[in-house]
Amino acid sequence: MLKVEGLRAGYGSINILWDLSFEVKEGEVVAILGSNGAGKTTMVRAVTGMVRPSAGSVNLNGEELAKKSSRYILDKGIVQVPEGRQIFTDMTVLENLEMGAFSKPTKAAFARNLETAYQRFPRLKERAKQAAGTLSGGEQQMLAVARALIGMPKLLILDEPSLGLAPNIVDDILDVASSMARNDGIAVLLVEQDITKALACADRGYVIENGRIALEGSASELSANEHVKKAYLGI
Amino acid sequence: MNKNVKAVRAYRRNLSIALGLILLVFILIPIIVKSPYVLNVFVLVFYMSTLSMAWNLLGGMTGQNSLGHAAYMGLGAYASCLLITKTGANPWLSAIFAMVVVGLVAGVIFYPCFILRGPYFTLVSIAFGEAMRQFIINSSFFGRASGVGLPFGKDSWLDFRFMSKVPYYYVGLVMVLAIYLLMKKIERSRMGYALRTIREDEDAAAAIGINPTKYKIMAVVVSAMVAALVGFFYASYIRYIDPELMVQAKSTESVLPAVVGGAAYVEGPLVGGLIMIPLSEFLRANFSAILPGINMLMYAVVLLTVIRFRPTGILGWYMHSKAKEFVDVKLLKKPPVEVFEAVEMEKNRGKEG
Repeated sequence: MLKVEGLRAGYGSINILWDLSFEVKEGEVVAILGSNGAGKTTMVRAVTGMVRPSAGSVNLNGEELAKKSSRYILDKGIVQVPEGRQIFTDMTVLENLEMGAFSKPTKAAFARNLETAYQRFPRLKERAKQAAGTLSGGEQQMLAVARALIGMPKLLILDEPSLGLAPNIVDDILDVASSMARNDGIAVLLVEQDITKALACADRGYVIENGRIALEGSASELSANEHVKKAYLGI
Repeated sequence: MNKNVKAVRAYRRNLSIALGLILLVFILIPIIVKSPYVLNVFVLVFYMSTLSMAWNLLGGMTGQNSLGHAAYMGLGAYASCLLITKTGANPWLSAIFAMVVVGLVAGVIFYPCFILRGPYFTLVSIAFGEAMRQFIINSSFFGRASGVGLPFGKDSWLDFRFMSKVPYYYVGLVMVLAIYLLMKKIERSRMGYALRTIREDEDAAAAIGINPTKYKIMAVVVSAMVAALVGFFYASYIRYIDPELMVQAKSTESVLPAVVGGAAYVEGPLVGGLIMIPLSEFLRANFSAILPGINMLMYAVVLLTVIRFRPTGILGWYMHSKAKEFVDVKLLKKPPVEVFEAVEMEKNRGKEG
């Protein structure tokens, strides 16, 4: 589904990503792991078109997206849940969800997607008319995921969903992510620092270090890897 | 039916009746009040409130604090005056000309600034205003520091020229209403939603496919065009303009009605303008003779008091206290959600219960 090859990107004259290559298949949860400053978020921004890659290819189902605008990429089905949730706190929950449909104008599709989102997160339905800033941290993260789902993603990118949340809430969010992949065939790209949790949920993973892919493999291979154990799990 | 839903509906009905009555009073004022001074204060209220609404589109709705709106207004005034004096064009046509020119200038100047983040826009808006003023002072085409005067003559609707203040009063009133309706329309449109998301979080807006630069440029262009319209109105009313029109203090003055009234609301500049401009005039007329400058000091005290104790403005404070009557306040956070969200919440509760 998504095939990234030789991706290079950075800010101004500083290059951050060096020839990144990875792949996400339909119905698969792929984890991108790495510590602070490894280039994870820059990778997300380069794939979604918010940072223009200087070289390489981002290919979604055969279409080249590397030089396209972020709006175009979103319309093609790559939707992200940005780092730190980034919901609109002064708007109501429903308005936040409506904003998820900003680039998809049909009303019928919105009503259908809203229903699906509410089924997945019943709490949001209860709180539809409440200001989003009054939700708990976990509910806000659910809202951010639900807002992305309204945009009908083929590939959903979750950027650090564990940030600032209690461990059991992180589990809930990751459960939703894997059930979306298994039941609805949405490919999920999970970008995480919390490697234990990410590998428990993902099928495969890539480890980024200094803007390069340092390791790749199935989730079980990675959790057993000596380097991963030492550098990230502290065992 | 839920008791609260009834109360909310009654409140809404009373509110529309009250607003209708206020409009009626404004229509009747020139018939009852004959004092040119009082009418002049109202004309001042009308065009300053309109200018403040233009500011509010950028500062309040989009969260881009501009301190250069006097420059757009001044450029609008110059564009229309020069077109009239140099080519003899019709003033109403010159208004359209001024709006187009100033809209273009604002769009071109600010396109590179919006790619930068944070306070750069505010800084550039200050520099822009001062640069334009200096440019005009030094350009003989613009009449240098001595300014440009519009021709005097017989009263005429075609030339928008009158001895009496009454026609300006009504044109000003129509201008306020038209721009208010325009802003209301924008607020409820796709663009309005995009601007709100940009104000709240630009990165999040970009993540859901909104192009922040595009919408900010649209906002700055519309805002500048409205300010240019105010400039045209001002020039036609005073019939003389000079570069002093564009000093920094005038830009700040255009911000105050919105901030005092409540910058999160389209109605904010109207409420603020109606309170602050007569107040400023009253203080000037009654106190400046006693001790020069004391009026400005008193004005500043009022302003600081409002900002210190009611940071969401008079309207924000009112809406919040009103919403408390209908709904648990903890569920409401900041201004935009308040009363009308409370209404919606109560309606839903009514349906379910």
